[in-house]
Amino acid sequence: MEQIITIVFTVALVYLLLGLAFYPLFIIKGITQIDPGAKGSSWGFRLIILPGVVLFWPALMRKWIVIRKK
Amino acid sequence: MSVSYTAVGWNRQKKRYDFAIAGFCSLYLLLFIGLTAVTNPDYTFETALIRSTSTLAFLLLHVILAIGPLCRLNSKFLPLLYNRRHLGVTMFFIALIHGGFSLFQFHSLGNVNPFVSLFSSNTQYHSLSQFPFQALGFFALIILLLMAASSHDFWLHNLTPEVWKTLHMLVYIAYLLIVLHVMTGVLQFETHPVFVVLLGAGAAVLVTLHLLAGSREIEKDNARFDTVEEGFHYVCETSDILPNRAKIFCIGVERIAVYRSEDRLYAIHNVCKHQGGPLGEGKIIDGCITCPWHGYQYLPNNGQSPPPFTEKVSTYDIRISGTKVWLHPTPYPEGTERPGVYIGNSI
Ligand code: HEM
Ligand code: FES
Repeated sequence: MEQIITIVFTVALVYLLLGLAFYPLFIIKGITQIDPGAKGSSWGFRLIILPGVVLFWPALMRKWIVIRKK
Repeated sequence: MSVSYTAVGWNRQKKRYDFAIAGFCSLYLLLFIGLTAVTNPDYTFETALIRSTSTLAFLLLHVILAIGPLCRLNSKFLPLLYNRRHLGVTMFFIALIHGGFSLFQFHSLGNVNPFVSLFSSNTQYHSLSQFPFQALGFFALIILLLMAASSHDFWLHNLTPEVWKTLHMLVYIAYLLIVLHVMTGVLQFETHPVFVVLLGAGAAVLVTLHLLAGSREIEKDNARFDTVEEGFHYVCETSDILPNRAKIFCIGVERIAVYRSEDRLYAIHNVCKHQGGPLGEGKIIDGCITCPWHGYQYLPNNGQSPPPFTEKVSTYDIRISGTKVWLHPTPYPEGTERPGVYIGNSI
């Protein structure tokens, strides 16, 4: 039991760390490409979406890749 | 609306709202902790903090869940809806203090990772009286975290409205998990019936409100508009629609809002582009149809948000014969200019 929980916990941690690594890239380049509303947005806004980026990064990454391909 | 995002869209009304939330929460916590310190001989600050934040978060969750149906039943409650997301985020942080502190208190002393300890220290999942209730609270907290993290409108646009809506419907699962968390948890330490009674009363109020609001909606949607001429359905009399207000008609599956602005009637799709608010329950402000939920605006004659905003909803054809209003339920593409119809002296 404890082993399974440790594995799940580690996987979750890695997922979140990947999200954290994705955050600066996304804030600098991706965000204005996937959402025109982010052009000229404040740094406060960019900071407030940090927890969301760390949690939902695969959705943003997918959207970004699709838009870059176009 | 979507021009350029800001961190928090504060205005005077929202500031007052947030002020009230902060005031109420501080007062609650202070009173709770103060009163237990004075009256309970076994008082420790940690326990008082865990219990005051848990009960406050649970209370706020009841308010949050009641706001939706209350607004459907009576528009006087709309101001509560306007800034509900700040209430939600506040509730998450308070629940986080409770959950975080419990983790710290009960699981951080050994050499096992507290998250692992949370799930492995008690594995009596088959027992009701010894059920590892903290796991239930943990999953509820994860749902609240996902909702709080995605509460900015940026997420509504970028996760798509469907995904966002589904994510935020999970609040009902969170509620259920918390009810179970409290039932299986508190009842392990407390035998006083007052907890069960409060829990039951809270659930009864929420269920009743949802059922009432739901049956009201179904009644409206089932109203039939069977008199049809050349594709136009007879819906009401011109005098039924008050100045600067609308009436909502559901023909087929579409809900359409018929608005009266100055001396004309206009028809637009009832669903707001922001979070699906009922446009027909709003009113005309400065010549624009204004959503009752968070104030997105649309021009009555073309369903477009006034520049620089870019939202658009569908428009419909409408006509008047004598005093009767007729509506064509086929939508024009979003943002199509429609002249509306002159009411003249038909009222
Ligand atoms: C990691 C997540 C959580 C953990 C570890 C946790 C742990 C606990 C513990 C240990 C208690 C018993 C406290 C006592 O009676 O001394 C408790 C009770 C309670 N919890 Fe949680 N909880 C968590 C999440 C939540 C969430 C998200 C809510 C939502 C509002 C919540 C609401 C409550 C309530 C209302 C009680 C009963 C009142 C009380 O005794 O404090 N809990 N929880
Ligand atoms: S739903 Fe938010 S403004 Fe209409």
